[in-house]
Amino acid sequence: MLRRIADSLFWAARYLERAEWRARLVSVNHNLLIEGPAPTGNAWSSLLAISGDQELFEKHYDDTDEISVLTFFVLDERNPSSIRSCINAARSNARALRHRISSELWLEINTLHLDAKAWSPTRLGTSEVFDFFQQLQDRFYRVAGVINGTLPRGVGFDFLGLGIMLERAENVTRLLDIKYHYLLPRLEDVGGPIDLLQWAAVLRSASALEAYRLTYGNLIRTESVVEMLLFDPTFPRSARYCVDRLETALRRIARAAPEPAAAPTGLASDGLAGLLASRSAAEVIATGLHDFLLDVQDECERISGAVFDQYLRFE
Amino acid sequence: MDAQTVSKPVPISDAYRVVAGLFDEMFDLERKPRPGCARVVADLLAREPDRLAELRSRADGMFLRMGVTFNVYGMEEGSEKIFPFDPIPRVIDAATWAHLEAGLMQRVRALNAFIQDVYGAGEIMKDGVIPRDLVLGCPQYRRAAVGLEPPHGTFVTVAGIDLVRGADGRFYVLEDNVRTPSGVSYVIQNRVVMTRLMPDLVRASGVRSVENYPADLLESLCELAPGGKSRPKVALLTPGIYNSAFFEHVFLSHQMGIDLVEGHDLVCVDHKVFMKTVHGLEQVDVIYRRIDDDFVDPVVFRPDSVLGIAGLTAAIRAGNVSVANGIGTGIADDKAIFAYTPAIVRYYLNEEPLLPIVETHILSDPDVRRTVLRDLDRYVVKPTNASGGYGVVIGPKATYRELIETREGIEREPSGFIAQPVVQLSVHPTLLGDGVNGAGPFAPRHIDLRPFVLLGSRPRVLPGGLTRVALREGSLVVNSSQGGGSKDTWVLER
Repeated sequence: MLRRIADSLFWAARYLERAEWRARLVSVNHNLLIEGPAPTGNAWSSLLAISGDQELFEKHYDDTDEISVLTFFVLDERNPSSIRSCINAARSNARALRHRISSELWLEINTLHLDAKAWSPTRLGTSEVFDFFQQLQDRFYRVAGVINGTLPRGVGFDFLGLGIMLERAENVTRLLDIKYHYLLPRLEDVGGPIDLLQWAAVLRSASALEAYRLTYGNLIRTESVVEMLLFDPTFPRSARYCVDRLETALRRIARAAPEPAAAPTGLASDGLAGLLASRSAAEVIATGLHDFLLDVQDECERISGAVFDQYLRFE
Repeated sequence: MDAQTVSKPVPISDAYRVVAGLFDEMFDLERKPRPGCARVVADLLAREPDRLAELRSRADGMFLRMGVTFNVYGMEEGSEKIFPFDPIPRVIDAATWAHLEAGLMQRVRALNAFIQDVYGAGEIMKDGVIPRDLVLGCPQYRRAAVGLEPPHGTFVTVAGIDLVRGADGRFYVLEDNVRTPSGVSYVIQNRVVMTRLMPDLVRASGVRSVENYPADLLESLCELAPGGKSRPKVALLTPGIYNSAFFEHVFLSHQMGIDLVEGHDLVCVDHKVFMKTVHGLEQVDVIYRRIDDDFVDPVVFRPDSVLGIAGLTAAIRAGNVSVANGIGTGIADDKAIFAYTPAIVRYYLNEEPLLPIVETHILSDPDVRRTVLRDLDRYVVKPTNASGGYGVVIGPKATYRELIETREGIEREPSGFIAQPVVQLSVHPTLLGDGVNGAGPFAPRHIDLRPFVLLGSRPRVLPGGLTRVALREGSLVVNSSQGGGSKDTWVLER
């Protein structure tokens, strides 16, 4: 596997996953605004704050109203992490490696790109936006299905997996952080109906609500949500699940070397695995969820850097 | 069904004009379908205009979704275009094809022998068949290729020979492409699209398949492996995603299951070529390069090239890697050498050329030059150092100013140009862009044909080739970079 190709696979996967999570983040926020009681302050501002895009947004828009923010997050190509920009980036990476992926996968990504090019702001109006996100989500599932259904499980698949899982682990922490930022619950609201509604929305946007109920029962508790999204090894969008997959992929890549190292060496993901193994949901909440989430994000960055140094860097 | 709402099929005989003085590929002068064309005429050309327009828009949609695109130079980055596609196929009957196939194999064998000779013993120059100065002074002559002996003597693994059909109905060679000919991916994709658009017609017509080309190409490439290595590592070297033919590079490497590499993916160590893989360096045995000689090795050729691999030429000389097509093959498709190609066929094969060439005048000869300059507006003038239709001046269509400039260019550097008489390329019924107008849904448009020849241990010709069509009325320029489109080419089994 060429380094350049591995790099493109890695980034195509990251951008696809990123686009998907952007859609998840924006739609959860949107749902909260529709279902929940009017929040204090501007709810869209907190989304901008958490995504780190406030400055860029203010450069191009005057008002933090819904349609501006939606346009910014979904359509605006001046925003490098808008959904459309992410899809473009995924597609241009995929274009360089078309010969290494299945035609079905290329077709799926290219069609998504062509559709994204044709999106218009009217799709983001109140009456259509729900369908829009719903359909978009379906498209991402289709991409995932084609990846799983058509790609041989070789090193290329593992580099795709690294990209997906790193991006996913980072984004699930962002999602949790949204809840944290969105409304630092007034003490009297904790455990109350608004709090529950918000946690339910968080779960739903990770497609986790039904799985949650199956595992943890009907009652939505902060600790259980954190448990599920960070520490549950069986749920496909938990940080723990991601790190397990990262380990598998990294191990398989190392083993595919013409002369694999005789003694097992440490994996780039060991730090993240250790971090997740060292705490429980209750401890994390007690000592500060936000800081813990930042630690997880830092570990993801570190893994990304290590993969780059070892496998992707030229010369 | 309400008869009034159904538009009647346009009878082809009324709607379509056969132009006297031009060879129409589908109809003779009495408007009878030519051999092999009857079924297409009866089925496809009799369909309602709306249905035909719909076929084309479905085809366009398929090409776009599949990403079958090319890049146009000089336009903003990321401007991928689909190659305009005409759903009316060009049909070649079995007997005509058998003749072309034999002529093409003969021609490519001779060109390959010529290249071997030029970089080897140089017999053809010693025997005075071609002036030594013309060969050694040719911009495509590569000193770096002198003495090279590729496996099986194969310099030209892939050739694309441009054929045109004159008013007399005969096929003529217009131009040879033995460096990095492109277009074969469109041949294969056009067929994919056509079999989806009109499966019944394709099946009923008995069309010869084109899908084996990538496998044949890979076999030819593997035969070039140094030392006859049995499972060689083959890679396709591309200039990258902004190259106009990038789609084709992707397509072929995908179909062949080989790595698609850029120059910086490769490195030479100890006169061997390696790919930079995630697990270190892996040796490459055969490189199917789609980069011109000039850019392939900055040590030997253009030092400013970032596309090639420093040291590649030395690795080839050391016998550790083969490239296809070989270095220096451009000597055989030079536009001035072209005038000598019939002599080349006779010299190496001792056979009469089966395919005539378009008459070609070398302007460095003062007498010839005088004759041509006197009637410049009756000739096509081509620069000898360009391809893709760039710089070509078609006398009868040129402005006065262009003719003056061309004359000055020729007088400044006579060896930089050749002149050919204007060939009235054959025409073919082609769906008009704006649907129905007074002339009916079709009109005759000029076409050419680029068949592809593979020269491995045995020569093979892809049945058919790329039919390009000049979509503008009266235009003789079929190049995709200049507003040309393409048609599927059907070689019939019998």
